[in-house]
Amino acid sequence: MTAMKAQQAPTAQSGSGPAPVLRAIGVSKRFGAVTALEDVSIEVIPGEIAGLVGDNGAGKSTLIKILSAVHRPDAGTIEFEGKPVSFTSPAEARAAGIETVYQDLALAGNMPVWANIFLGRERTRGRRLPLLDKRGMAEEARRMLERFHMNVPPMDALVASLSGGQRQAIAIARAAAWGSKVIIMDEPTAALGVAETRAVEEVILGLRERGFGLLIISHNLDQVFRLADRIWVLRRGRLIGMRRRSETNPDEIVAMITGAELVARTERAQ
Amino acid sequence: MSASLTPARPGRTLPQANVGSIARQYGIAIVFVALVIALCIVSEPFRTQANAMNLLRQNAVIGIMACAMTFAIILGGFDLSVGATAAAASVVAAKLMIGLDGDLPVSWGHIALGVIGGVAVGVLVGLVNGFLIAYVGVNPFVSTLGTMTIVRGLMYVWTNATPLFGVPFSFTELGLGSTFGIPNPFWIFLIVAIILSVLLSQTKFGHYVYAIGGNVLAAAEMGINVRRIRLGVYLTTGLCAAIAGIILVGQTATGQPAGALGYELTAIAAVIVGGASLSGGYGRMTNTIVGVFLLGVVSNALNLFGVSPFWQPVATGTILVIAVAIDSAAARSAQVAR
Repeated sequence: MTAMKAQQAPTAQSGSGPAPVLRAIGVSKRFGAVTALEDVSIEVIPGEIAGLVGDNGAGKSTLIKILSAVHRPDAGTIEFEGKPVSFTSPAEARAAGIETVYQDLALAGNMPVWANIFLGRERTRGRRLPLLDKRGMAEEARRMLERFHMNVPPMDALVASLSGGQRQAIAIARAAAWGSKVIIMDEPTAALGVAETRAVEEVILGLRERGFGLLIISHNLDQVFRLADRIWVLRRGRLIGMRRRSETNPDEIVAMITGAELVARTERAQ
Repeated sequence: MSASLTPARPGRTLPQANVGSIARQYGIAIVFVALVIALCIVSEPFRTQANAMNLLRQNAVIGIMACAMTFAIILGGFDLSVGATAAAASVVAAKLMIGLDGDLPVSWGHIALGVIGGVAVGVLVGLVNGFLIAYVGVNPFVSTLGTMTIVRGLMYVWTNATPLFGVPFSFTELGLGSTFGIPNPFWIFLIVAIILSVLLSQTKFGHYVYAIGGNVLAAAEMGINVRRIRLGVYLTTGLCAAIAGIILVGQTATGQPAGALGYELTAIAAVIVGGASLSGGYGRMTNTIVGVFLLGVVSNALNLFGVSPFWQPVATGTILVIAVAIDSAAARSAQVAR
């Protein structure tokens, strides 16, 4: 029991390295009689990728929905940049700098690339009659995408005409484009082929270099080990533990996901 | 360093998509111009100036409805109540212009009151539709079918289904007169079309109509106020239906409880012939205008050739089905190509 408690706040007291930009501390969430999360703590550190793993129903989605303010926790606190926050809507969290890229990507396929980058944040010119500054937005969108080393599609191309990898890259670039500090990604490469997966992973690694705090849900353990600096394991709504990638291996993570590790640990404690 | 995120064959797919999109964008305009040229060559009465003015005058009412309908269709809905709303606006406007007690002398004040009253009817019906669709979540078909039958029914009850006579004759200047040789209804249509065209393609409001029609979840997730935009669209269709109804008063000097019957379907047909998608997200104002005049020219030509008016809906329906079939086939082959 004490061993687990110590694991839940592994870096907060250590003092080394940058402070977490986003923390969940002792978060619990119930939906009716179902306990989705129980006393879960997790940290996202700038310039690092946190991998969130766990079996189906482990509470990963609930946790990222709490971090992005879709849900509010029943207990526990969320800290952003060192201060406790309680956002009332995803829009508020986004405005503060917490972006979430869901699997549906939130792109409008019938609209051009630039319009998706600027969706909900359009620029206008002319004070008395505010008209869309389409050319300005297209130029700005191109500059934003070029920053991420990606092969940039034409800004006037409809998003529906792009490949899955290009769409994913646009959704991620949009999340990174607006002064955000944390980007949460739910299965960023779930629907992609091998080459496109690698390309999107390069975009994600580029974001780490630029100092974003990244939290990625993935079912693909190979990918988690390619990307994540720290791996957080959830099981049945509880945090089983955190491992640094350099100090663990896939077998241990699988054991933690399935519960074998927990059994062994409990036995040892007894 | 820069991994490839382009489709496998960019060189081949992109130009193809361009040809497809150009054909989609201008195909209807090309068909329209070809038809007009052919009719000018074949038919002497068609190429007269009087007939041209006739076309502009006749299609203004449908044109105004269709321009507003373009918003509703791009949004992923439509508005079946515009015909009934136009009729209601014409009845209310006529009633107010005549004077509610009937024996007061008609004044400009009455005319202004009539126009305001007609517009108010459109705003009211638009508010009801918009509230039901955007805030209650009623399906646009059910909601606007409901308001269509309710509004039409109320007008029949109120007027006993008889037209209202006695509108000041000076008001027919609006419907039958001309300015600089161009019929006044066409001027009104032109102003409405320009305003709505700018609204659709150059403002945030129009931009969000496309976004909601394309992916309503994405629009909501990115912080767009979907309800307010939907309400705004149905206010626009209601308001424009009212303007159309007031022009009807100007063209006939009567309030017509049975007027504009079936106009909603002609307006929807014009928008669809113009290449908009009933599933939302796609459509252009200029193509809607071409669609309006394509249908108008065809029915005008049938008239001039002495074909029975009963054939006109047959022609409209045939054009609609062919236009949609070509568009669907093009969309399917584009998907196969990808």
